[in-house]
Amino acid sequence: MKRLLSSITDGKGFDIALVAFPLGYLFLMSGLPLLYNVVMSFQEVDMFSLGSFWRPFVGLKNYRDLFAQPETLPILYNTGIFVAASIAGQFLLGFGLALFFWTNFPGASWLRGLFLVSWVMPGLVVGAIWNWILSGDFGVLNFLLRETGIIDGNIFWRSDPNFSLWAVIIANIWLGMAFNMILLSVGLSAIPKDLYEAAELDGANAFQRFWTITLPMMRSTIGAIISLGLIFTLQQFDLFAAITSGGPNNSSNVTQYWAWDLSFRQYDFAKGATISVIMIVFVMFASVVYVRSTRHEVRG
Amino acid sequence: MGIRNLVVMGAFALASVSAFAVSAKAEDVTISVWSLDRDIQPAPNLVADFNKQNTGIKVEYRQIQFDDVVSEAMRAYSTGQAPDIIAIDNPEHALFSSRGAFLDLTDMIAKSTVIKTANYFPGPLASTVWDGKNYGVPKATNTIALYYNKDMFKAKGLDPNKPPQTWAELVEDARKLTDPAANVYGLAFSAKASEEGTFQFLPWVQMAGGGYENINSEGAVKALDVWKTIMDEKLASPDTLTRGQWDSTGTFNSGNAAMAISGPWELDRMLTEAKFDWGVALLPVPEAGAERSSAMGDFNWAIFANTQHPAEAFKVLEYFTSQDNRMFSDFGQLPARSDIAIPATGKPLKDEALKVFIEQLKFAKPRGPHPEWPKISKAIQDAIQAALTGQMSSKEALDQAAEKIKAVLG
Repeated sequence: MKRLLSSITDGKGFDIALVAFPLGYLFLMSGLPLLYNVVMSFQEVDMFSLGSFWRPFVGLKNYRDLFAQPETLPILYNTGIFVAASIAGQFLLGFGLALFFWTNFPGASWLRGLFLVSWVMPGLVVGAIWNWILSGDFGVLNFLLRETGIIDGNIFWRSDPNFSLWAVIIANIWLGMAFNMILLSVGLSAIPKDLYEAAELDGANAFQRFWTITLPMMRSTIGAIISLGLIFTLQQFDLFAAITSGGPNNSSNVTQYWAWDLSFRQYDFAKGATISVIMIVFVMFASVVYVRSTRHEVRG
Repeated sequence: MGIRNLVVMGAFALASVSAFAVSAKAEDVTISVWSLDRDIQPAPNLVADFNKQNTGIKVEYRQIQFDDVVSEAMRAYSTGQAPDIIAIDNPEHALFSSRGAFLDLTDMIAKSTVIKTANYFPGPLASTVWDGKNYGVPKATNTIALYYNKDMFKAKGLDPNKPPQTWAELVEDARKLTDPAANVYGLAFSAKASEEGTFQFLPWVQMAGGGYENINSEGAVKALDVWKTIMDEKLASPDTLTRGQWDSTGTFNSGNAAMAISGPWELDRMLTEAKFDWGVALLPVPEAGAERSSAMGDFNWAIFANTQHPAEAFKVLEYFTSQDNRMFSDFGQLPARSDIAIPATGKPLKDEALKVFIEQLKFAKPRGPHPEWPKISKAIQDAIQAALTGQMSSKEALDQAAEKIKAVLG
C-alpha cells in the first residue's frame, strides 16, 4: 500500500496519472464525439432516432450514396483547391510580411501587432466585409481593378462559377495571413544572430543566408504552421456561409460547408457524418505532420 | 355500439375528467411555448397577455434562434423534452406531422369555436395539413409580389399604372428599364442556393402548371428559360445568384433596380429608404389569363404529440388565434386569415401595397408539404443555379432535379 502511494506521489504512478488525466479529457471531449460521428456514418439516422445510439446499421451505404451524387467529386476537388491555395497564399504572404518586419524598422513591432486585427475578427464579420468588397456591381475590389485598368467589366466574384471559390480563398488568405506572420516571426527571432554574422564573414550573400540558415532553422515552425493552416482551412465555414453559401451550383462548395448543409439544412445527419469522417482522415494526416514537426521543439 | 366505441368513450370520459381535475388545480398546468419571436414580435407578448388572464394555465416562453428551430426541436423531441407548443417554419411542418411528432388537432379544431379552418387562406392552411388531418394552425403568413419603381417607368416611357402582367411583358419592361450606364438593372430577385431560391422560383413553376412533383414539366422549363433570359441579358445583377431577397431589394430601394420581387417584410424599410414613387403588382403570369400562384412563407403553431396537456395547449392556441386581429396593428405581421381585414396604416404607399399582397395571398401555395422538403428544395436550387450559370440547359437541369426529387418521393 505504501509502495503504491509513494509510486503515485513520486514514480511510475505519478507519470501514469500525468498521462491519464489529459488522455481522459481528450477521450471524453474529443474522442467520444469523434467515435460517435464515425459510428453515425454507418447508420441510418433520422430526426427521430437522433436521441438513441442503437440505430439501424447500414454498412457502407452512406458512403456509396455519397459518391453516387454528382456533386461529390467536384466538392472534394474544390476542397483540395481551397486548402492548397489558402495555405499557399497565407504562408507566402505571411512569410513575406514576417521577413519584412524582421528587418526591425522603427515601429515594426507596433505595425506587426496591428496586422493581427484580421485574425482577431470573427469569421462572420470578415465574411460580411468581404461580401461587400467582392460584390459585383458596387464592390471595392472591382472598383480598384477597373480604375487601375486591369479589368474592363465587373467581375462577379461571388456569382461567377469561375471565381466564386477564389472569392472565398482571397478572404481566407487575408484572414489567416496575420496568424502565419506572427508564428513565423516568432520562429525567425529564435534563430541565433551569430549564425548570420558568421555566414556574413564567410561571404554568404543575403539569398544564401536565407536558403542555408533561415529556411533550415525554420523547418519545424514551417511544418507546424502548414499543418495548423490545413486544420484552420478545413474548419473555415463562416466565410462560405457569409460570401457564397457554397453557390452558384456548388462551384464554391467545400466539404465542411456541405457537411453542415446536409446535417442541418437537409437533416441528413448520416451523410453529414460521412463527409466529416472523410475530413477526419485529412485532418489526422495534418495532425501527424504537425506532431512530427513540433516533436523537435519539445525535445530541444 | 361495439366494445371498441365503449372503450373509446370511456377513455374520453376519463380524459375529460382528468382534464377537469387538472384545471381545477389551477397553478399546476404549465404549458411551454417555443418560438423565434423577439420581444417586439407576437409570441412573447401574447404569452404575457395570456398569463395575465389567470386561466389556470401558466405559459412559459422560450425564444429560439431561426437557425436552431428544427434541430433544437428534433433533439428535444427525440429525448422526450419537447415543449408543448412550437412555432415551426411552414415547409418543415410536414417533417414533424408525417412522423406523428405533432398532435392531430382535427377533432379539436372541428369542435372549436375560435379556430375555424374556413377562416384561413388556403395556402397557409394547407401547409399545416398532412394526410388530410390538421396538425397545426397558421401563425402568420407572407408572400411575394412585384415591386416597381414608378418614377423609372415614367422616365423610360412606360405607363406607371401598368406594371407588367405577363412574363413576356416583365422581360420586355426589364429590357427597357435596364440602364447599365446609370447602374440600373431592370429586375432584382433572388436565385440564391438556399431556401430563398426555391421560395422565389417555385411560384413561377406553379403558375405554368407545374409543381415540385413535376419540376421538369414544359411550363417549368419555360419559367427557368425566362429567368435565364433575364440573367443572360444582364437584366438582373449576376449577384442575384448569391444574394438573398433582403439584399436584392436593397438595390431596388437605392434605385439600382427598377423592379424587385419580394415580400411585405420589405415595406417598412422601403418607406424610409426609397426616395421615389413605387407600387406593388401581382406576380406576372405566363400568359394573360393563366393561373396565378405565389410563394407562402412564415410560421405555423403546432402541439407536440407527447404533450401532457393537449387540451390546455389547445386552449393556448385558441387564445393566440383569437388575437389574430392584433397581428398586423400591433406587430406588423400578416395574419393567415382571409376573414380579418388589414387596418389602414395611414401611409398610402403601404396601404396600396398591402392590398396587393392580400390579393396575392389568395393564390399563395405552400412548399410541399413534404417531410423531406429540404432535399426537394436543394434539388431545385441546384437546378436553378446550374441553368443560370450556363452549365446546363434549363431542360437538362430540371430533368436532373426531377430525378433527384423522384428518389426522395420514392
